Amino acid sequence: MASFATVCRLSARLTAKQVRQDATARGFRTSAKCLAAQNFTMPALSPTMTEGNIAKWSVKEGDSFTAGDVLLEVETDKASMDVEAQDDGIMAKIFLGDGSKGIQVGTRIGVLAESGDDLSSLEIPAEEGPAKPSPKQEASKSEPQAEAPKPSESKSSAAPSRQPSESVEKQTYPLLPSVEHLMHENGLDASAIEKMTPTGPNNRLLKGDVLAYLGSVSAGYPAELSNRIEKLSHLDLSNIKLAAPAPKPAAKAAPIPESIPQDVDIAVPISMKAVVEVQKRIQSSLGVFMPLSTFIARATDVANDDLPRSRNYKPTAEELFNQVLGLDKVASTNGTRGSFLPQITALPGASPVASLAKAPTKKVDVIDFLSGKSKSSASSFTAKPVPGMSASINIFSVKVPKGDEKRANAFLQRVKTVLEGEPGRLVL
Amino acid sequence: MLRSLQLPRAATARSAFKQSSLPSVIAPRLRRSYATESEEKDLVIIGGGVAGYVAAIKAGQEGLKVTCIEKRGTLGGTCLNVGCIPSKALLNNSHLYHQILHDTKNRGIEVGDVKINLEQLMKSKDTAVSGLTKGVEFLFKKNNVEYIKGTASFAGEHEITVNLTEGGEKTVVGKNIIIATGSEATPFPGLEIDEKRIITSTGAIALTKVPESMVVIGGGIIGLEMGSVWSRLGSKVTVVEFLGQIGGPGMDAEVAKAAQKVLKKQGIDFKLSTKVMGGDASGEKVKLQVEAAKGGKEETLDADVVLVAIGRRPYTAGLGLENIGLETDDKGRLVIDSEYRTKIPHIRVIGDCTFGPMLAHKAEEEGVAVVEYIKKGYGHVNYGAIPSVMYTHPEVAWVGQNEQEVKASGVKYKVGNFPFTANSRAKTNLDTEGFVKIIADAETDRILGVHIIGASAGELIAEGTLAIEYGASSEDVGRTSHAHPTLSEAFKEAAMATYGKAIHF
Repeated sequence: MASFATVCRLSARLTAKQVRQDATARGFRTSAKCLAAQNFTMPALSPTMTEGNIAKWSVKEGDSFTAGDVLLEVETDKASMDVEAQDDGIMAKIFLGDGSKGIQVGTRIGVLAESGDDLSSLEIPAEEGPAKPSPKQEASKSEPQAEAPKPSESKSSAAPSRQPSESVEKQTYPLLPSVEHLMHENGLDASAIEKMTPTGPNNRLLKGDVLAYLGSVSAGYPAELSNRIEKLSHLDLSNIKLAAPAPKPAAKAAPIPESIPQDVDIAVPISMKAVVEVQKRIQSSLGVFMPLSTFIARATDVANDDLPRSRNYKPTAEELFNQVLGLDKVASTNGTRGSFLPQITALPGASPVASLAKAPTKKVDVIDFLSGKSKSSASSFTAKPVPGMSASINIFSVKVPKGDEKRANAFLQRVKTVLEGEPGRLVL
Repeated sequence: MLRSLQLPRAATARSAFKQSSLPSVIAPRLRRSYATESEEKDLVIIGGGVAGYVAAIKAGQEGLKVTCIEKRGTLGGTCLNVGCIPSKALLNNSHLYHQILHDTKNRGIEVGDVKINLEQLMKSKDTAVSGLTKGVEFLFKKNNVEYIKGTASFAGEHEITVNLTEGGEKTVVGKNIIIATGSEATPFPGLEIDEKRIITSTGAIALTKVPESMVVIGGGIIGLEMGSVWSRLGSKVTVVEFLGQIGGPGMDAEVAKAAQKVLKKQGIDFKLSTKVMGGDASGEKVKLQVEAAKGGKEETLDADVVLVAIGRRPYTAGLGLENIGLETDDKGRLVIDSEYRTKIPHIRVIGDCTFGPMLAHKAEEEGVAVVEYIKKGYGHVNYGAIPSVMYTHPEVAWVGQNEQEVKASGVKYKVGNFPFTANSRAKTNLDTEGFVKIIADAETDRILGVHIIGASAGELIAEGTLAIEYGASSEDVGRTSHAHPTLSEAFKEAAMATYGKAIHF
């Protein structure tokens, strides 16, 4: 299915490659196919044409021409038509001049050389004989790439005027009402159809083609109109303005600041309400003042126990061995003890704890924590009153290397549970 | 050949994960997300809208193993769920109501009290929608299409991660991938859409009460259709359009002018060549500041509901295009070649999220063509013969080029025009608004464009599309028998008027 399409594309590409190779390898090979000069025979301009007259050559011996140039005008008993060049080249020799009559289809009328060939040293190939070439040969000569499935583009880029060899095609379906009408009106019989050049979709003979044949519109106009309509039948994919790659630099910029510090800030809001309450109760019942830092230090200690492993943790050889044996799932000692110290700051607007009122409350933006801009002074919090701690919500944050986020998160969640849930148990 | 190349690729991708030296704590989590990975499909389609579901069914018929991923919950996309289908249900029923209300007496029908039951009107619309979307689901089953409900994003050039609607995640691997994610209404800068007072077409098919007044920003097809619905149900509708004509740039100017005249007669107000400067939805009514497009007098419009219908834009958000480096153009359309391929050749794009007119039937054609490209190497869509229809009353429909375009291209042309007032069927229907206009090449008579305004224009345009597809001349149509008495005779007569003379006019 899909492979079929690809193979087709591939083969099309291969053929194209082959053609190019032929052009370059020609000088080194002598096989007939690659000869520099080729016999140019009388073309069959319609399936029924057997012989024709040369009205006029449009090129002289030695003239070079490009694909699509008119080489000569051929007359048959029905019409006269221009023969166009299929490829670039040079008219090396003309055997049958202007006015030659009754030339059998397939008879050599000239010799074509590749453009750039030196005519003086050119070897004129022998005539292959006037034997009527089978239509198949003829077709393959005029269209060497016919076997390869053509990509659809090639159809749209077809030369504006169609090649005469394929222009006249038997109309196998009923003629359009306008065509039939015009033919009867002008006394044309079925044989006249073969002399008309169909320009409709799938080589359908249109009213305009009959009019062109009758000479009431100019001969090339129907084809010109067809080409114009053909262009409209494709999506206009020219002049595509790609979107400015605006999001890309942003996406690139994002990882850079991350990669420099390599550290990630994990922050969790924790309410100190329960702690302050317990603190008050202890003071009133036991007369002992327990600083908040004690609660936090003990909570930290508890929370650091048995934490999930860091992603950066490299297992020891023994652990790897256990893993292979599947013992790691059995063993329960999966976690390790952490050494996190949370950094604490009050949320802006929260009322500072009464006993800490002297401490200046810094206005701190939560965003600063999340983006890792805040200065770390975590290690000092047990020694002196924590700056900016409030009685209600505080942000507890830890700075950890990348990959340790899960571990840090577990730690902070535990601190939160302990401090918010039952802080009394920390000191009793 | 392709297969042998690709299987190792999928295998290496997977083994790469296994080789990683992640500790045991992490590894099970990763492995789990790949546990549900299904086998490699021939074709994975992202989007179950008209483009996607047609491609999926076609692929199923062609014997491909195909998966279609859709996040809406129902198939059919914008068209079936919130677009063509529900709007046509409302248009038809509101037209019926409007006609019973205003156009029965002279026909000899006397009607008593006529009331609108909006709830039931909406219910009948929903019945039509659910019937059709379920129908598509049935067609999926019939054609062996795997249907995954969820949101897809690219994890790699062949792997798509689907965030399942029912929870969980799934990875789908496809040899070929089609992106058919469609489009969304373009929002109006400065107006926040809440689908209640500031609405898009999606909100316009689901209003819970008839608003007293409605301003429609954008006089294109969607704006005029939805404006028509609510105008018929009793809203005072004003259409504000930046351009000098309604119907968008594709509509023939002569037809657009005629349509505007008829719609105005039905009670819709038009402010053409008018720019909306901004709006304010804080008050009880939404206030819109408008001014003449070329500068000039300012004005404030009050409305209960503002319908934003300024067009649609491709919808590719969350698709993870950046993960695989796919490009869009400045309008957000995914860049493709003539065979719908992106720069990653096995990923193709069809429908609204890429180039071409945003029409359901265009998407449908592409859905078939793209599968044929994948399976057979050749597909066909004739973009020169895609009809457009506006389902107001009278309907407006066209195919091919309009007169402005033909004139600009420098081709000499003839125009044949036939009014429905001269058509016997239109006369008996007492519905004679509009005309058929055919534009043909002056020399060869080949039809270049067909433009119809009138009841059933949307049905009549099929003949014009066929004529253009086959390269017909106006004489070919004019010499073809059309049943009498039908509206289609107007088409034939217009053709006759193009190459000669109409009989009945």
